[in-house]
Amino acid sequence: MLRTLKTISLAGALAGLLVAGGATIATTAAHADVTVKFWHSFKGGNGKALDEIIQKFEAANPGIHIEGENVGDYNDIVAKLQAAIPAHRAPDAVIMEVTRYGLFAEHGVLTDLTPYVDADPLKDNLFDYAREIGVYNGKNYIVPFNSSTAVLYYNKDILARAGYTTEPPLKSFDDILKVAKTITEKLGSEGITGIAAPGQFARWSLIMSNDSDLIDSKTGDILIDKPGTVDAYKWMSSLVYKEKVASADGVTDEDNGKKAFLAGKVGIMLNSTGDYGGAKKAIGDNLVVRPMPCNKVCRVAIGGAGIGILSSSPREVQDAAYKFISFAASPESNATWFAATGYMPINKLTAAQPVAAQALATEPGIDVAIQQLDFARGRPRPPVVTWMRATEYDMWQAMALGQRGVEETLKDFAERTRQEATRVTN
Amino acid sequence: MLRKLTPYLFVAPLVAFIAVFTYVPILTSLNLSVRNWNFLTPDMPFVGLENYRLLISSRDFWNALWVTTLFTVFSVPIRLFLALIVASYLARETFVSRLLRGALFLPFVTSTVSIAVVFSWVFATDYGLINPVLGWFGIGKVAWLQDPALALWVLIFVNTWKQIGYDVVIYIAGLQAIPQELYDAAAIDGGKRLHVFRRITFPLVMPTTYFLLVVSVIEAFQVFTIVNVMTHGGPAGATDLLVHMLYRIGFVLFDIGQGSALAVMLFVLLVTLALLKSRLIGRKVHYEA
Repeated sequence: MLRTLKTISLAGALAGLLVAGGATIATTAAHADVTVKFWHSFKGGNGKALDEIIQKFEAANPGIHIEGENVGDYNDIVAKLQAAIPAHRAPDAVIMEVTRYGLFAEHGVLTDLTPYVDADPLKDNLFDYAREIGVYNGKNYIVPFNSSTAVLYYNKDILARAGYTTEPPLKSFDDILKVAKTITEKLGSEGITGIAAPGQFARWSLIMSNDSDLIDSKTGDILIDKPGTVDAYKWMSSLVYKEKVASADGVTDEDNGKKAFLAGKVGIMLNSTGDYGGAKKAIGDNLVVRPMPCNKVCRVAIGGAGIGILSSSPREVQDAAYKFISFAASPESNATWFAATGYMPINKLTAAQPVAAQALATEPGIDVAIQQLDFARGRPRPPVVTWMRATEYDMWQAMALGQRGVEETLKDFAERTRQEATRVTN
Repeated sequence: MLRKLTPYLFVAPLVAFIAVFTYVPILTSLNLSVRNWNFLTPDMPFVGLENYRLLISSRDFWNALWVTTLFTVFSVPIRLFLALIVASYLARETFVSRLLRGALFLPFVTSTVSIAVVFSWVFATDYGLINPVLGWFGIGKVAWLQDPALALWVLIFVNTWKQIGYDVVIYIAGLQAIPQELYDAAAIDGGKRLHVFRRITFPLVMPTTYFLLVVSVIEAFQVFTIVNVMTHGGPAGATDLLVHMLYRIGFVLFDIGQGSALAVMLFVLLVTLALLKSRLIGRKVHYEA
């Protein structure tokens, strides 16, 4: 009996050793490949374009696997990332909206990419805006991937039915209001409205084109209650409340305006260049793209997002992640992305790539964002921006739905933003 | 010794489950409510009651408390009243009443997100379903979700539509437990329908009403999904219920300290309400016929 027990114990110990040895071998083998867990916000056509870039990268870098995952929109990414960090389940690389990465940079969550970018020949080929957009407090934290500006889209068929046989001027607030009024008057009985209520990104650009801003990019001063900002909000809210040329449905849910435009129920939409692909698919040749109005000055906000690397990831994973970031910003990848989505080129050599050149030649309007590059500006990104952007929705609703006066609302909003800025800085 | 331990061993898994998933989160919230944390910093400095002070001095908190109170005060009685009426008609065991019970219960087991998305389209001002129908009768467009005076009522309607099936089923169980002899006696005495309802049905269904009152008040204070999908708390805070505000503070603004402080305040409020209900109504509930 004792002998049997001894034999079983020995066999068990041997089996244990074999299993442990096997595990060690397997671990060593796994270390030969690096997996980069990458959170992004792309689905549909944009998701397919990203998958194509990832596949090409993996083919060119057999030792690196990019585990891409669509985790929702920019807000979802920020929320999930904040929850994942204390749970030690954060990804290695993440897409971050250009005004919201400052908070993560400030707390050391994102790796300082400056040494990587400085050593990368890519740096010289990036447009100035693309280099600037990822810099926070003098250090580079993200490299732009899907950069955008707001542009003016209109539905040619709707304008024609409203009596515009030739393109009307669309360069100032007054021009746009005039066209939107005509469309609503002529086609309102068919359920068509002149313009979609501007979403937050377009609102920011319209404020900039009125020679103002929400926060001063250089000094960080709150400019919400400055005359230029107030006047811009007065005009934007009048579209809904006073002139009734924009549906209130787009005020409480900004997606409604876009959906209505795509469904052929709205004449004009001010929205991101990233919506080009979807809009083209929905209304085809009736889609016309024009630059944003230059009301007082020509200036548009740069939006979109860039890829950052989490400082919690091991060094070899960070290196692999940067390789991917650099590849995604290369002329070839950027051309694929630009042609498929309409997002702006970030690389000066992108336009010369065959894919991009073909898109520029055959997709009218896709070049508008490039035309706007000269006056496109990055938006401020101090930590208070997250609070300000979340609160702005309520303020906008109050003004656009006529519940509060514009001046009173913005004065209150500015005061609260200043208090919050002090609180988050302390 | 083992005999003494046995009952504890039987309840241990449940105790462990409740401790991990109920008491630990409550205690964690309590701890976080006195700290300043945004998920990102490794340290969580102790700030005492500062988060509570900030909340109490904020306009948004009082607005959310007021909106939640309005939602509860109107939605709960409407729900219970309608449920009792419907249950009275569906209490009999017929094929049609069984079918209708099933139909009424369906929304309760349907995804709240789906319901909210569908209703947000139904109530859309320019692109919705209701306004064109109203237009046939010469009624102009109604800004259901944009008018602060209406948006909350839309949410109350949608929440009632979703929850009423549950209330009806519970009420039916309560109604079927009332002894038939009482109705027979009332019939012999010539009791009219309304009189019978007031003197027999209503008092004897009070335990069910009391249970539903407690459950539906808690549910009303915790409504989130419908708000988040249909109005995002808007227009301009008109539907910003407490739990939606809690989500916004915690997961949009990432102020975990203030979010936890609000969660603790909501917890205290619900416990106080439950105690008040027990004092004011609980004693009037008759559990025996």
